[in-house]
Amino acid sequence: MNILKDVLTELFSMFVADARLTAAILALVAVAALMIIGMNLNSLYGGLFLLFGSIAVLFLSVRREAELRRIS
Amino acid sequence: MLEWSTAGPAVGAAFLASIVEVVEAFTIVLVVTTLRGWKPAVTGTAAALFVLTAIVVVLGPLLDQVPLNVLQLLIGVLLLLFGIGWLRKASLRAGGVIPLHDETAIFARETAELSAEVHRQNTSQDWIAAIAAFKAVLLEGLEVIFIVIAVGAGRGLLWPASLGAIAACVLVLSVGALVHRPLARVPENTLKFCVGVMLSAFGVFWTGEGLGVEWPGHDLALFFIAGLFLLAGLIAAKMVRQPISEVPT
Repeated sequence: MNILKDVLTELFSMFVADARLTAAILALVAVAALMIIGMNLNSLYGGLFLLFGSIAVLFLSVRREAELRRIS
Repeated sequence: MLEWSTAGPAVGAAFLASIVEVVEAFTIVLVVTTLRGWKPAVTGTAAALFVLTAIVVVLGPLLDQVPLNVLQLLIGVLLLLFGIGWLRKASLRAGGVIPLHDETAIFARETAELSAEVHRQNTSQDWIAAIAAFKAVLLEGLEVIFIVIAVGAGRGLLWPASLGAIAACVLVLSVGALVHRPLARVPENTLKFCVGVMLSAFGVFWTGEGLGVEWPGHDLALFFIAGLFLLAGLIAAKMVRQPISEVPT
């Protein structure tokens, strides 16, 4: 049971290492899907939104983590 | 015919990511070998490889049942979560915010922990050591399987990606068998940085394809996306690097 629990914890932490980061990426994908499928915009706009949004999320997440670690 | 503009990044990502994971698993297996000999290490490793093979055999055919765009979207989102997580951590390490991964220190810590566990438990000491090897190989192996599926399944490149992962295993195990100590000189953070860049790029690319995005240049867009993530990761690391004057003495 311990091994199974460790495996499940590891699998979970592979994708949800940081809850905010995960939520932000899922929100980006949802908005990109809305732009492409829901609003019928040129699909490339949705793709570029996803690309630059992911980069912005990376910057914000790195900066936030660095600030948190320096405070503590 | 294999398109190397598509297969190259998939094989490269699987190879580099597998090196990182196999080095981590190798450190634990080496701890077990050092403390209890090769028997529990081989038993634990073989049992984990058996479970991993069973997972691939059971899950592999299921992938063919999923429509391609759904598979690309699902894998793309998982890759984005996984890849940006790695790139974030690698940027923080490169920026000096979190310490670098040190295989020698991990070897010493795991040796101490396993020794304490062996003395604490009443069960067979070899059994505890075998379980430690089993867990390490299983956990790191699951990550390798995910990466191989993620970078290979979207374009029917499971075999080339698997070969990349197998090549990494053979390389690490050969070097490990020769030197017989933790592979501390592997530039792990640089590898993680590269893998984070490639997985994030695959993540954006597959998610986009799953949503119906027609990337300009088709597969070649992957290189442009990877270039942007590389630049972003380097800038992020530079952004959080503390100036020397601010470092507490």
